[in-house]
Amino acid sequence: MNYRSYFKSEWLSLLRRKQDTLNALLFFVMVITLFPLGVDPSSEFLSPAAGGIIWCATALAILMAVEGMYKEDYNDGSLEQWLASGLSVSILVFLKVFAQWVMVVVPLLLVLPLLAQMLFLPASALGVLMCSILLGTPALFFIGSIGAALTVSLRRGAVLMLLLILPLYIPVIVFATGAVRAAQMEMAYSGQLAILGAISLVALALSPIMAAVSIRASVN
Amino acid sequence: MRKTVKLDIKNLSIERGERDLCCELSFSVQSGDLIRIAGENGAGKSSLMKAILGWVPIEDGELIYNGEDVTQHRDMLLQDQLYLGHTPGIKNVFTALENLKLYCPDKSDRQLEQALEEVQLLAFSDTPAAQLSAGQKRRIALARLWLTDKSLWFLDEPFTALDVKGVSVLEEKMAAHLSEGGAVVITTHQPLLHLSPKVIELSV
Amino acid sequence: MNWTWFHKLGSPKWFYQWASNWGGRCVYVGLALLLVGVVWGLGFAPQDYQQGNSFRIIYIHVPVAVLAQSCYLAMGVAGFVSLVWQMKLAPVFIKSVAPVGAIMALIALVSGAIWGKPTWGTWWVWDARLTSVLVLFLLYMGVMAIQNALDDQVFADKAVAVVSLVGVINLPIIKYSVEWWNTLHQPATFKLTEKPSMPMEMWLPLLFSAIGLYLFAAGVSMWRMQTEVLMRERKANWVKKEVLEHGI
Repeated sequence: MNYRSYFKSEWLSLLRRKQDTLNALLFFVMVITLFPLGVDPSSEFLSPAAGGIIWCATALAILMAVEGMYKEDYNDGSLEQWLASGLSVSILVFLKVFAQWVMVVVPLLLVLPLLAQMLFLPASALGVLMCSILLGTPALFFIGSIGAALTVSLRRGAVLMLLLILPLYIPVIVFATGAVRAAQMEMAYSGQLAILGAISLVALALSPIMAAVSIRASVN
Repeated sequence: MRKTVKLDIKNLSIERGERDLCCELSFSVQSGDLIRIAGENGAGKSSLMKAILGWVPIEDGELIYNGEDVTQHRDMLLQDQLYLGHTPGIKNVFTALENLKLYCPDKSDRQLEQALEEVQLLAFSDTPAAQLSAGQKRRIALARLWLTDKSLWFLDEPFTALDVKGVSVLEEKMAAHLSEGGAVVITTHQPLLHLSPKVIELSV
Repeated sequence: MNWTWFHKLGSPKWFYQWASNWGGRCVYVGLALLLVGVVWGLGFAPQDYQQGNSFRIIYIHVPVAVLAQSCYLAMGVAGFVSLVWQMKLAPVFIKSVAPVGAIMALIALVSGAIWGKPTWGTWWVWDARLTSVLVLFLLYMGVMAIQNALDDQVFADKAVAVVSLVGVINLPIIKYSVEWWNTLHQPATFKLTEKPSMPMEMWLPLLFSAIGLYLFAAGVSMWRMQTEVLMRERKANWVKKEVLEHGI
């Protein structure tokens, strides 16, 4: 095994398991549908809330996608092979998360304009919303991968993983929705986007190391 | 010929929570050695292998590989070995050939097919592993052994789910590996038929 | 610099004996100081000119809230020590301090709500600091949840170390994000670097109760750690001797 063959196989397995990605996406749409139904379908409520609704749904959908990311590798012994391969586990984690991020976020960005329209988000803010998704979601994936690594050996780890990871998502959600709101009010939003990017970079630097420690501890 | 190896285990102790495993165990593995780790269930056979490879913490003792302390430089040992555990890392979404390709990316399709032929799986090379039996999956994993030229084989219960034919193929391959100067560390409950290993007995 | 004390911390036996001497003292001195601070603050300190008597809850609320954050910070440091130097006592520390910190965060939330009613007119507002204490409480719950969910001791120790360390890195980010998001709360009462903005006779009892609570929590944590050490080392000879000589 080397990094290239691993990365290729990771893609291949994500493509073979498209249904998992599709499920996360459908879940995202479902959560968004609940808000007009459960709270208020008028544009007076939805238009200012759209950024927040979309971001909360994104965070939940990503948690769902990330939660089981190592499950199969754990069950079929691949994680043991990672450790025995002599390759850096952090880099393997990074490659895996990157592949997963592309698989989930690209289709998400494609459906986003439609959903933003349904939530009456002004067209001027759509670009900022997409930028915030692009800059903020890497942090969600990388932080989530730590939780997934910690709970991989538990049969019912999903709820525990939500409890561990969701609080850490708060800053991303706050700054992302802040950027969208600022754009809606025609104020400067570049600061929030910059912070989102910074959070993602920090997560990118530290999470693979933490996830590697957790994987090492999980496998034994 | 395989690269010469010498792994020395000196006074090794492992602790798994409440249980003390392998108290002050010492032995060495050299080119040409076949070592069978024996012991009852829970004696720590798998843990010993994992401790040597570095993902079960070592309580006390030394591990020296080709003169270097393994706890400091594990890379050398990891590069020269191939480990197959209870679940040998065969992915259900991939076909037999794709599974081998993941682990041996530098081999040509021709070589991979030949390896599958030797474990009677060539007919299934395009079948997703999800549709194969446990024994067939294990045979895919075993094919990795003779595709690479690693000197040290760590085999944790490799005979599980294998049929008679599979067992004899593996034993033949092990014998060939040993004669080429490789070394094998194996745990197994069933005795080896044609090979006579050095036995390390672990007690509970 | 002399590092022997640091290495000694790696020995559970040494810690146990050290904590037998200091645990009790911390608890009793801490309780006494806390009592002085609270009685002074609730009974004798002057009224606030704006908030009247209702401000007096500060003598409980502020020490508890500050302690809740300090506990998590300490857990994060212990997590780092545990991952990098594999010190045996670090995970014991995290496991023992987490419930103490969680209770402090809970008391801070409840006392904050009680204070909020007369001051802001509602039990709860989505104010920055209240929210960040709520998040802190959830982080504590996370640490305790994973501790309880994992059966394997070695793995559980690693996991809580990772969770506390990641939590500590995130804590300031969460705090500032929430602060930026919404602030109703009055500015922090305690600033060591600046001259206190409140008069001395109001500030001193607060200092007393804060120091008292810190000592009390430190002592209780030592007791909890001693119990955990006994539990983990129960097969060791020194524990048998200790129990035979002094009882439990």
